[in-house]
Amino acid sequence: MDAALKELAKLEKLTSSKGKSQTIDDSLESLLQSLHEIKEQVQAGDVHEETFQQLSQTIENKKKEVDDRQKEIHASVTRLGKTLDKKFPSSLPAYNNLFASPDSHASLERTIALHFLRTGQFEIAECFLEESEIVIPPTLKAQFVDLYQILKALKNQEIQPALAWTKQNRQFLQSRSSPLEFYLHRSQYIRLLLASHPPDPRPALIYAREMLRPFYPEHETEFKRLISCVAYLPLRRLQQSPYADLTSTALHFDLEPLFAKEYCASLGMSRQVPLRVVGDIGGGGALARIEKGRKVMRERKSEWSQTDELPIEIPLPPENRYHSIFACPVSKEQSSESNPPMMLYCGHVITKDSLQKMGKTGNHTSSKVKCPYCPTESVLSSVVRVYF
Amino acid sequence: MATKVNTEGILMFEQPFAKVPYENYRKAFRTSQRNIERDFTPVQNTANELLANAKRGSLNAQDAISSIEGMIGKVESLKRKLSDLQETSARPTQDVIRERLQHLSSMESVSSTSSPEFARWADTRLDRWLVDWCLRNGKENTAKKISKQKDIATLVDIDLFTDIRRIEDALLRHSCTEALAWCTENKSALRKIKSTLEFDLRLQEYIELSRVRKAPEAIAYSRKYLLPWQETHLAQVQQASALLAYPPTTSCGPYKRLYDPSRWYNLVRAFRAAVYNLNSLPTDPLLHLALYAGLASLKLPACYCHSTKNVDCPVCDGEAWGSSQSLGKLAQEVPFSHHANSTIVCRISGKIMDADNMPMAFPDGNVYSREALEEMAAKNGGVVTCPRLGTTCEFAALRKVFIS
Repeated sequence: MDAALKELAKLEKLTSSKGKSQTIDDSLESLLQSLHEIKEQVQAGDVHEETFQQLSQTIENKKKEVDDRQKEIHASVTRLGKTLDKKFPSSLPAYNNLFASPDSHASLERTIALHFLRTGQFEIAECFLEESEIVIPPTLKAQFVDLYQILKALKNQEIQPALAWTKQNRQFLQSRSSPLEFYLHRSQYIRLLLASHPPDPRPALIYAREMLRPFYPEHETEFKRLISCVAYLPLRRLQQSPYADLTSTALHFDLEPLFAKEYCASLGMSRQVPLRVVGDIGGGGALARIEKGRKVMRERKSEWSQTDELPIEIPLPPENRYHSIFACPVSKEQSSESNPPMMLYCGHVITKDSLQKMGKTGNHTSSKVKCPYCPTESVLSSVVRVYF
Repeated sequence: MATKVNTEGILMFEQPFAKVPYENYRKAFRTSQRNIERDFTPVQNTANELLANAKRGSLNAQDAISSIEGMIGKVESLKRKLSDLQETSARPTQDVIRERLQHLSSMESVSSTSSPEFARWADTRLDRWLVDWCLRNGKENTAKKISKQKDIATLVDIDLFTDIRRIEDALLRHSCTEALAWCTENKSALRKIKSTLEFDLRLQEYIELSRVRKAPEAIAYSRKYLLPWQETHLAQVQQASALLAYPPTTSCGPYKRLYDPSRWYNLVRAFRAAVYNLNSLPTDPLLHLALYAGLASLKLPACYCHSTKNVDCPVCDGEAWGSSQSLGKLAQEVPFSHHANSTIVCRISGKIMDADNMPMAFPDGNVYSREALEEMAAKNGGVVTCPRLGTTCEFAALRKVFIS
């Protein structure tokens, strides 16, 4: 981007009135001066030919000055344009009528509306809903408002609203073995512990006995650390101790994203904002790769069908891997319901089709298959289908 | 690692972002050029006249003074116009270009997609895409609200789209005037892309005259505005001439089609294509392109199988409120992703399994990551339970799975 910024700076200098060189404004100003002077001369009775000769000449000169200046600016503008063309060489592809059907359009509107609600942009969401035809159930809207109130409270170090929610949803949280409730109490406990000067751990310990103890079975180690760290008070000593991590502010700040994640999960929603996730993948190189693949295919004159499968693999960061993919190491085919992954006696996995091709003697349960990856032979009856 | 910022892939989306203000600047420059030509010529002419008269000796002082005053007025007005143009259009546009280039440059200097700087940049980019989408879909108020609340007015093109909207609305009201004025403003650029928009608009005005049966006016109009196109559009010009012989109620195919009011929608489309083209704007909203590529990268047959759905997956997402009313519905329009290598994701922890976190199978074939199962065993005295089927066994009874 530096080259373009440099060209822009040149253009700015050329058109700014602060520069040293003469601007169009200066030329016009000096022309005006000459005109006024000549007007005075004529008023004084001078109507000689030379006067007007001089006038005409001045105008031509000034026009030339202005033209030259414009030419310079024009050249600078063109250079900037060329630099931009170089930096942004390809225009975006056109996919005709993508997401244009009424159903798709409504789905996209819905996705966007939920995006605004989910990210706490309620005013924008209201405005958007007014301008579109979709309806979001008020209960769902209220749930998001509720979420943001709780998050706001958490930011202000009030954990009560969050705790009220975890209490209501304890079963759900337990089924996910979520540490949320324990972490909320932990944050409160640490705050109590560090609140008093000189340190008086008693209120914190009372809190721990009452609130943290029920979590002892699931969080035994952490519970013990929380109680033991009292020995290192005050804060300055604690920060130098093996318990320094307990003084980190992340312990409190991380509650917000964790709470949002659990809250969304309880509504059956993903932990990340879906529109951001998909947009970041698509806008982070995927489109460029797809277009490149498409171009290669076109050059080879083998168009791939739009709805089928991409011709190339798009690398995804680990956090965006949501499903297991098993590609058979023998046939390179992806496993499916009709061609499931099968684990041999030795633990190596291949797809059922590959297995059948190797077991030449047919489906006799006593026949043996040699693993393509190690010397082990497996009896067919010992091969199990695996579920990832 | 895939977390490195793919600058090239990101910049692919940003051509219009940089080009729109650049085109605006060129437009401002052209206006200034036009003003200079228009205002200087009469001043030069007057000066030459004065000189000629002075040579002939037929110049009287009074006339000379008023001529000079006229010239002063012209130059003053030109000076004012140019400085207005500089202050209200050229300079602000330069600022917009600068801010946008700097915005892109700030992304180029980020090293990892997981850094908070990149997250903020991507947030802004999504806001820009949403503004673009709203503007293209007639939701101006939302677009303006996002722009204002996020303070990204210089990063979005509300004015451009407002102008497009104004001209499109006029076309839908069956008025070509605004679109024709736009064609005049962009004449040379339209010629460069070989756009026939102007002819289409002229033809429509002619059709409207024929519709109200004003034959003489129609003929005069045709002579003035259609004939210049006969080199490239002869057949259409001839057909237009014959149109006068057919009333609007005609059932004769080609002429019935010319009278068809749906032509106005085609004009809107043609205008939109031309204006997008001049500003390097893609025909699809940027959001659509990003979603297309993103969904295609994620879409798997597993997203459509009940037992393998994952609530965190954006393609599977949305099932909780009835089937496919959000991104999953859009994903139906895109191809499946392609994979030549295995990736096994743990259904308990969501982590990818590899040599450091081996997959382990229950005797019935359900596979989870070693880490997750070890944690479970530690809490339950060495016994693990399959969350899918509820079968339990000793941790020791699990089998290691090798994925090559």
